[in-house]
Amino acid sequence: MLEVKNLHVEVEGKQILNGIDLNVKPGEMHAIMGLNGSGKSTLSNAITGRENYSVTKGDIIYKNESIVEMEPNERALAGIFMSFQYPTVIPGVNNTYFLRAAVNAKRKYNKQKEYDAASFLKFVKSKLKEVEMDSKYLKRAVNEGFSGGEKKRNEMLQLLCLEPELAIMDETDSGLDIDALKIISKGINNYKNKDRSFLVITHYQRLLKYIEPDVVHVLIDGKIIKSGGKELALELEEKGYSWLES
Amino acid sequence: MNLSDYQNEFDNLISKQSFSAVSQPSRKDTFSKFLDSGLPTRKWEDWRHTDLSFLNKNNFRIPESSDASDGSIDISNYEIPNTFTVIIINGHYLTINSDLPKEITVSTNSNGENWTPKNKKDTPFELLNASLSDSTITITTEPNASIQKPIHILFLCTGNDDLMINPQVNIDISHSSSATIIEQYVSNTSSFFQNTSVFASIEKNASLNHVRIHSNSDQTANISGLHVTQSDDSTYNYFQLVDGGALQRSDIYTNLKGKNATCSLSGLALLDKKQHSATYIISDHIMPNCVSLQNFKSVLNGSASGVFNGRAIVREDSQKTDSKQSNKNLLLSDQALMNSNPQLEIYADDVKCAHGSTTGALDKEALFYMQSRGINKKEATSLLIRGFVSELINDIKNEDVKDYLFEKFDNWLLNNNQ
Ligand SMILES: Nc1ncnc2c1ncn2[C@@H]1O[C@H](COP(=O)(O)OP(=O)(O)OP(=O)(O)O)[C@@H](O)[C@H]1O
Ligand SMILES: [Mg+2]
Repeated sequence: MLEVKNLHVEVEGKQILNGIDLNVKPGEMHAIMGLNGSGKSTLSNAITGRENYSVTKGDIIYKNESIVEMEPNERALAGIFMSFQYPTVIPGVNNTYFLRAAVNAKRKYNKQKEYDAASFLKFVKSKLKEVEMDSKYLKRAVNEGFSGGEKKRNEMLQLLCLEPELAIMDETDSGLDIDALKIISKGINNYKNKDRSFLVITHYQRLLKYIEPDVVHVLIDGKIIKSGGKELALELEEKGYSWLES
Repeated sequence: MNLSDYQNEFDNLISKQSFSAVSQPSRKDTFSKFLDSGLPTRKWEDWRHTDLSFLNKNNFRIPESSDASDGSIDISNYEIPNTFTVIIINGHYLTINSDLPKEITVSTNSNGENWTPKNKKDTPFELLNASLSDSTITITTEPNASIQKPIHILFLCTGNDDLMINPQVNIDISHSSSATIIEQYVSNTSSFFQNTSVFASIEKNASLNHVRIHSNSDQTANISGLHVTQSDDSTYNYFQLVDGGALQRSDIYTNLKGKNATCSLSGLALLDKKQHSATYIISDHIMPNCVSLQNFKSVLNGSASGVFNGRAIVREDSQKTDSKQSNKNLLLSDQALMNSNPQLEIYADDVKCAHGSTTGALDKEALFYMQSRGINKKEATSLLIRGFVSELINDIKNEDVKDYLFEKFDNWLLNNNQ
């Protein structure tokens, strides 16, 4: 599904990622952990194609094709989704309108009939239920006035509506209360199947209690310095990162 | 054109047979004041951002009746459903497409007979308007009348030459009455200069919704002075759309002369190429308990430029004034330029005043967020610009007018987001 090969990424002239290798197979869930500033979000941004995140060396292969030259929306249409660590507020743009535009872009790409306002409302209602979100959030501007947790739920809602095959969850669990954490984890578990993969970035072992990663990676200074099973997360929780750095 | 060209136009006008002699002395006096001041230059403080070379390099003349003889402009593009349409051709010929309710009167006077120099401000363009205006349009409502359907006044200018018109519009909203008036300016001449003065008086407990649409070719200059006087408990809502024209300038003076009056001014400028739009406002609070709002936005593409110069004066006796000024501008190109200058002048102590101004490019974070959801850059851009302007247009209460303004916006966007 996703193969990251010796990936070097520069942001505004600053080298952040120093040769990342990653291989996520269909149906797998990978967790990435690491200190603040180690480059986790940079990796997510590079995979989703954010401007100014330039790949200076290495490659990102998705479904057997290099995607580094692709526009962000082309990557999204091909099935890549990122739940933002800090979801963007878009004043003046209605949440329903935005979500419908996104879903219709995908449907058009898949040569499916686009939703009109009424049929989209029906479609989105069922998704709202899954993330236990009130429909009043659809009437507001995108993420405007949303609390931290509400923004994360809105990200999850978008994921469910867009049905990606590769979902990158950048600290979707941060700032969630226990109930919300359970809802999001349940959403991830229900969504996951043999064709859908997850790359989950987290600081907390507690998330990994609810969702079971196949592999846990430790990212330090723009490099993956250790990979292992879920027990690695437990070890990190106990000992911190310092034992790995030397 | 230069001052002697204006002199020629003036001489032609007052020597017309059909023209009333009664007003001649004061008109001559007004015109000589204009000659004394001359047209503004960029050395004048209030004109330093505005280039008037468009007026200087074209030669405009006042239209003759023969200019409008070869049929009319197709107005289908300018029709707004469920309005009374009043068509003013070349400044004076009046047709009303539908029956106006008897509570409202619209009349023109094309011989200048009842003309009085109304140049409340001795600015060059107001003086020019007062001297060259060959017709006045007067709109009056009866007291206690509530006129639901908007009155749509379409100023059409047609002819083969470079023409100028100097309409003077007097609006009198009598006590406890309400009306919606839409002013729109359209031309098909090779180049066009329109210099309008509007005087609105809103009496006690009355309300006026006023919409002005400047939509014209790149060969148009729209200059307008708007003077509003409000009595106790009156409401004035103004919205202007500028979506074309080489040069557009609005000078707005609102006088809150009564207590508990509300004055809300808003506007949207959609500019591209070398277009220029400038809005200068003075909201003058004279009495207590009044509200004044200024909410203006521009979207600038190409090498367009804009000015927002909004002032609120809160005088000593105007306690409990609530005044807000906001100016937000979106720059779609690196060459576009905006000068934003909201100002407050406060002489009373118990007041609530706020002002703010932002100018910037499209939010890259928001664009990426949308693109990361599969929306292409062009559509994401459209959504963002629409989001930026819709807050203003959504405030328009009349649905048909709102739809029409959105239609104009969509058209503009179609040409400016490719
Ligand atoms: N746009 C940018 N300009 C300059 N430096 C940047 C930019 N984006 C990221 N960086 C730097 O790159 C480094 C890695 O940042 P990144 O956001 O990827 O860390 P992270 O691992 O996601 O951290 P956290 O756990 O705090 O979210 C940091 O030092 C950060 O300051
Ligand atoms: Mg991060």
